[in-house]
Amino acid sequence: MKIQPPSPDMKKRSFLKKVLNGTIAGSLYLVFPMGSDGLEGQFPKNQMPPEQIPGIRDHAYDILDQEFAFIVDITRCIGCGSCCVADKREYNVPDGNYRTWVERYVKGFSDQVYVDAPNGGLDGYQNPRSDIQEEVRDTFFVPKLCNMCREAPCVQVCPVGATFTSPDGFVLVDDKRCVGCAYCIQACPYSVRYLHPVSRVVDKCTWCYHRVRKGLLPACVDVCPTSARKFGSMKDKESEVYKILKGPGVLTVLKKEMGTWPALYYKGARREVV
Amino acid sequence: MGLSYKMRLVILALGICIMAGSGLLLKGLLVPDSFGVYGPYRADAIAENTELPIRHGTNSSCYACHTYEAKVHKTGLHSTISCEFCHGPWADHTDGKKKIGTLPVKTNQDITTLCLRCHNTEIKARSQQVIKTVAMPGHLESQKVKLTHNCNQCHHVHAPLKYIKRARQITGLTEEKI
Repeated sequence: MKIQPPSPDMKKRSFLKKVLNGTIAGSLYLVFPMGSDGLEGQFPKNQMPPEQIPGIRDHAYDILDQEFAFIVDITRCIGCGSCCVADKREYNVPDGNYRTWVERYVKGFSDQVYVDAPNGGLDGYQNPRSDIQEEVRDTFFVPKLCNMCREAPCVQVCPVGATFTSPDGFVLVDDKRCVGCAYCIQACPYSVRYLHPVSRVVDKCTWCYHRVRKGLLPACVDVCPTSARKFGSMKDKESEVYKILKGPGVLTVLKKEMGTWPALYYKGARREVV
Repeated sequence: MGLSYKMRLVILALGICIMAGSGLLLKGLLVPDSFGVYGPYRADAIAENTELPIRHGTNSSCYACHTYEAKVHKTGLHSTISCEFCHGPWADHTDGKKKIGTLPVKTNQDITTLCLRCHNTEIKARSQQVIKTVAMPGHLESQKVKLTHNCNQCHHVHAPLKYIKRARQITGLTEEKI
């Protein structure tokens, strides 16, 4: 950062103010280099994806004044598995592990619930379940991903401070500190964490934090053909998630009784969904 | 036991100083630099999490070069589908400067399998308000085509009703008459 030489008539108060502002801004700049710089390095000018989350690229990102929400509309999910495929490709997730997946719920007239997720929904759902004897009453798909709990059990149990809730509400993993004890995997009520077989540290859904900080939607949200997955900033009064959360529609969270206060909401979730 | 009272005090003070000093030194060595800026974790880890490479662009990244496909895709019913879902991620295709790989294009039976991933009526969970589904081979029979036909022989994969609308325009037929 370039510091201007003070003009001779500068008052002491304004000088102090500028120095303080500069120090705060400078330290923030050091800790969080602006995302758009990285994006320009990666994408050529004409292929640069337009900003999908307004107000991130052209502003200094104030990490202490951000809030994001994720809404999954179960009534719109068709179980195509685009999100699972995109997620696997974005992070090169090793086979057998899933950062996000889609479950199929089938409810019979006896109130018995059958849940399956062959290969996490990566191959889509090509055939109906053949092993159900009774008449099917209701069937639907439930996409699962990190709930970004505001009271995250995984953060509480980490013995080395390697998993944490960032000030903007993302539960992230510090892969340099993680010792791979897998305590957080046991603590997570939603089973979204896994031990990476190569790096031997814990990996999890981050709501594509690297994309969000560059103004792009998470990969799963971007590819969803029916917009069953919605993501946006709660600070943006025009965003779809803000309008849905402000509106009268019924939204539920998973395992509310655990007191984890997820920032992931479900629309149209039946009470059988856990 | 020849130590004087003063000497004992000095030894005690020295001992406390050494312990405190080594404690502080160890703390300095073991606690990471940015630990505790926002909480009991390394604040630099937030920045490191943003540095992951972006592998998926958006549809507009593809449209920038593939202008003909863009024109067709944007106008059709499939405009909300991500190019990268069927073809693969942007980063496998280009590094931003030149082409580094060819993305797969589905052919023959693979196309039908891909279409039925979303458009299969057999999977009852699909709301008709969200997606139009068909039953196979019932759809082929009702449209009076061969049962070996693949979807893309009638439907343009990027804009499914492109050919069908055009055919209706030319022949003047509506769906009911067919």
